[in-house]
Amino acid sequence: MLALSEYTAARPRIGFIISGLLSLLIIALVAAPSLKPETFQFLHPVHIDTDPENMLPADEPVRVFHNAMKQQFGLYDMVVVGVVNRRHPQGVFNVDSLGHVYQLATYAQQLRWEEQGRQRGVVAIDMIAPSSVDYIEQAGLGAVRFDWLMSRPPRSEDEALAVADRAMRIPFLNDTLVSRDKKAVALYIPIVSKSDSYRVAQRLREKIATFDSADEYHITGLPVAQDQFGVEMFKQMAISAPLAMLLIFVLMWWFFRHLQLVLAPLIVALIAVIVTMGLLVISGNTIHIMSSMIPIFIMPIAVLDAVHILSDFFDRYPALRDRKATLRAVMTELSAPMLFTSITTCAGFASLAFTPIPPVQVFGVFVALGVLLAWLLTITLIPAYIMLLPEASLSGFGMQASASRHTPMGRLLQCVGNITFRHGKLILLATVLLSAAAVYGMQQIRINDNPVKWFDQQHSIRVADSALNERFGGTYMAYLALSPPPAAGTDLEAELPVRLADLQPACRQPLMRQIDTLPAAADADPLAQLIEFALAQQWAAAGDSGWQCWQSATAVLEQMQQQRALFKQPQVLRYVAGLQAHLDSTGLVGKSNGLPDIVKTVHRDLLLGAEPEFRIPDTVAAVAQTLITYQSSHRPQDLWHFVTPDYRNSNLWIQLKSGDNRDMSALVAAVDDYIAANPPPVALQHDWFGLTYINVIWQDKMVSGMLQAFLGSFAIVLVMMVLLFRSLWWGLLSMLPLTVTIAAIYGLIGLIGKDYDMPVAVLSALSLGLAIDYAIHFLARSRYLHAASGGWEQGIKAVFGEPARAISRNVIVIGVGFLPLLAAPLVPYQTVGVFISAILVFAGAASLLILPAILSLFENLFFDTREQPPCETTSCR
Amino acid sequence: MRNHFLPLALSLLMAAGAQAAEMTAQEIVDRANRAAYYQGADGRASVHMQITDGQGRQRNRHFTLLRRNNPGPGGGGQKFYLYFHSPADVRKTAFMVWKHIDSDDDRWMYLPALDLVKRIAASDERTSFIGSHFFYEDVSGRTPAEDRHELLEQTADYYVIRSTPKQPQAVEFAHYKNWIHKTSFIPVKSEYFDGDGRIYRTYQALQVEVIEGFATVIRASISDTRIGGHTTLGYSNVDYNLDIAEAIFTERYLRNPPRQYLR
Repeated sequence: MLALSEYTAARPRIGFIISGLLSLLIIALVAAPSLKPETFQFLHPVHIDTDPENMLPADEPVRVFHNAMKQQFGLYDMVVVGVVNRRHPQGVFNVDSLGHVYQLATYAQQLRWEEQGRQRGVVAIDMIAPSSVDYIEQAGLGAVRFDWLMSRPPRSEDEALAVADRAMRIPFLNDTLVSRDKKAVALYIPIVSKSDSYRVAQRLREKIATFDSADEYHITGLPVAQDQFGVEMFKQMAISAPLAMLLIFVLMWWFFRHLQLVLAPLIVALIAVIVTMGLLVISGNTIHIMSSMIPIFIMPIAVLDAVHILSDFFDRYPALRDRKATLRAVMTELSAPMLFTSITTCAGFASLAFTPIPPVQVFGVFVALGVLLAWLLTITLIPAYIMLLPEASLSGFGMQASASRHTPMGRLLQCVGNITFRHGKLILLATVLLSAAAVYGMQQIRINDNPVKWFDQQHSIRVADSALNERFGGTYMAYLALSPPPAAGTDLEAELPVRLADLQPACRQPLMRQIDTLPAAADADPLAQLIEFALAQQWAAAGDSGWQCWQSATAVLEQMQQQRALFKQPQVLRYVAGLQAHLDSTGLVGKSNGLPDIVKTVHRDLLLGAEPEFRIPDTVAAVAQTLITYQSSHRPQDLWHFVTPDYRNSNLWIQLKSGDNRDMSALVAAVDDYIAANPPPVALQHDWFGLTYINVIWQDKMVSGMLQAFLGSFAIVLVMMVLLFRSLWWGLLSMLPLTVTIAAIYGLIGLIGKDYDMPVAVLSALSLGLAIDYAIHFLARSRYLHAASGGWEQGIKAVFGEPARAISRNVIVIGVGFLPLLAAPLVPYQTVGVFISAILVFAGAASLLILPAILSLFENLFFDTREQPPCETTSCR
Repeated sequence: MRNHFLPLALSLLMAAGAQAAEMTAQEIVDRANRAAYYQGADGRASVHMQITDGQGRQRNRHFTLLRRNNPGPGGGGQKFYLYFHSPADVRKTAFMVWKHIDSDDDRWMYLPALDLVKRIAASDERTSFIGSHFFYEDVSGRTPAEDRHELLEQTADYYVIRSTPKQPQAVEFAHYKNWIHKTSFIPVKSEYFDGDGRIYRTYQALQVEVIEGFATVIRASISDTRIGGHTTLGYSNVDYNLDIAEAIFTERYLRNPPRQYLR
């Protein structure tokens, strides 16, 4: 490795030319297909993906089921528009506001366009708005009426209030369309594809801007949040990351006071980021929430090694006054630790490739790639860069080691060195106490995530989210599918001959022959086809006896069909209604909608609107006739959002006020418990779907996957350390600071009550990578300096000279450099910013305190006085 | 496909049909209205309704439809009676419509399982006909006076009429186009356009037969791109001029179906 540095130092231009050309090539390969997709179809353009669903592979069972159910029940993702009026005593139920709501709904229904022959945009027919939903009411003696809830804008304040009153009577609309305080309204605008949401939301905002009113409009819903996240993500990539870079640059300049020289790490980091992100795009990967953070992870690590070189160079140059000689000395001491720190960091991130979450895999692999690249660029370009500088420009560079020692930092570090040497036991005691607190803290960790909370509290998405969830049943949708177990009711072929046995041969025989001709296809309904056949025979029958025979055949078949239509059976509907009541009582659910609600509502209004009649009627026929009444409305197809036309599969819409995964998990457990304690009257299985549920699944996978990945990389790094130091004890010792750091960080997360979410989980890999760096540098150079100075008491003084200063400079440069992320409006970025800084401080402090304390206390265990200086320092040359 | 043969079949069937001189759009529509909904003094048919949704899932319904024109010139009020045979859980359910030309129709239903006769005061006639793609108005006929009609073109076989509602806010379409067969005056196709000029709903007469001297649509379908899928109605056992008593079309007979007409 040293040879490589010497080679490039001898031919300084070559490295820059190669890496410059490589960067340009990669920029071209990304820009060409992104700007001119038609011309460069064979290349991959930049593709932004903000869909949390993609945290799971497309063929993941829960996603396949989710999509199948959405198809089966005709469900779409929705843009939610909440309208609130805080001034008018009737809220939005006044002439003016409802007039605007009417206009907006009419406008929204027309937000459709064609893309590649496919209809895109709003699914107008399924929109939930006052003007597009039906209601049922009493219309005088013995009459019911189906009508649009608001067929035209109201003409008086009373008419406006009547819209609210009517909607409150319909369970499906109450708390969904109209807020329970009767002051606000929410429109639910289904869209063909989630990717249409930004365009639809933008157009709605434009329309709303033309209204002159006191109403507040809140646009939200998961698809809008996701699209918005994509927009903000891009901004962050363009603002936060360069800003962090700039701050790091300024700090380095402050430390080394040489503008030209500190440009070098910047160039290294920039090239590493460009090439890594370029390769990510070129290889056809999407820029996902995770991969958008790659630059932020690569930058500190890319600068890390360069700071070590510059720091060492800074301290040695004044003594040697020769670039070449100084470089040789610096690289001799540093090349081995740098190689190993890079490899261990790589191992930490590469271990993420074994998590079951594709975006995290991509993230891990590409950060690992970026780290290796940064290392290669550092050991080649930095020496080359120094060689390219005119010797004269370095004249004032650096300071005598003695001078350096007298800076406040130098004095502090010497002092720290003394303390660790003399009060090692105290430090160990503190470490043990800290670890105990950390273990306690880790037990308090709350695993939770919520994509909407990825936005800052003040963000319009969060404001809309809380405004709507305060007033309505909840904007987070989860669905509970209820269906017979796969085995039930499929053995039709065995059942039919038994059931038809009593029929007269004149119709039984043709029927049995017909059964044999039925297609075996699973999706065909053989019973329905037999009924059609029998009915046709019945109508064609010449005499009375033929008619009667076929009539009884039809009756038997229809009875079988009815028994299979589970969700027309009163006891099943009552069971579902009981489950819904239980859901409402858990406090987790704002509201649930299901088939029982439709049946009860129509039944009530058929029977004079009397409240006691708000119930499931007692017979299958009564349920069926209630439902056929419902189907005489403007929107009969709404029924199929809750049940399949064969009435074998049903679906509960569950509105949650919180999208927190732990609330969803608690709900899943509550339903499991209820069903276990109250078995359904017929065999039913229950399966969840909906985005809120999918988030729980990928979180579970991520938590267990991250733990495995972390334990795996911990073991790998330990083995590498043992090999590097050729000693089990040194290997174990080197793992100590990172173990303490990670325990402290996660203990802290548990203690302050910060949710363990996606970015927090990923930080364990970063901790591993960064914390081990400091330990390797510290221990490798302790060993080297122990041997060089002939004893630990002298050695520790040297270690707390330049090496400790390099580590401290690193901690400060990178720790402070990442604070601009705190200003980002996206919480994952803030989290990463805070915790990178915290990790660096902890890891730096742990390395500088615990390692020397242990080395001092157990000097005999670690330093064999007969031992030769280890290979990685001097003897390998 | 079948539709390609319709004009030929209609022409052969109606070879002796009236030869129209220059007719106005209004006259064409009035005649079409009578041809489609007013044949004979009364009529009966067994109807098989097959609803196919956007996912290809099918539901079948069987019912008997009775119709009686109010006395007087054609194109006036009518009474309809509908009795369900299948599916079993809605058997004996009955609907009745008194169609009025100058006012809202009266509609009743009888739900045997709840032993309930209910008047349905629908806001308009364009609600679903028992969950199918047909509207009530498609079954009982839209009153020609509700729209303004214009003759767009004449092909060899058809008058093409464009109809625009006089009260646009009362209906979901912006206008519709009708293809009316020149000799039989049977409307064989209607296309409904939305505000953006897109066709979203299509009616087609799929099969026509002359029964007892009347050109009769015996298979028809409506498809709707907004909700997806289509509904097909098949008419059999069609009979005209049965002399169905007017008393049949009263509430009493909803509970006690007139068996003689239902088999």
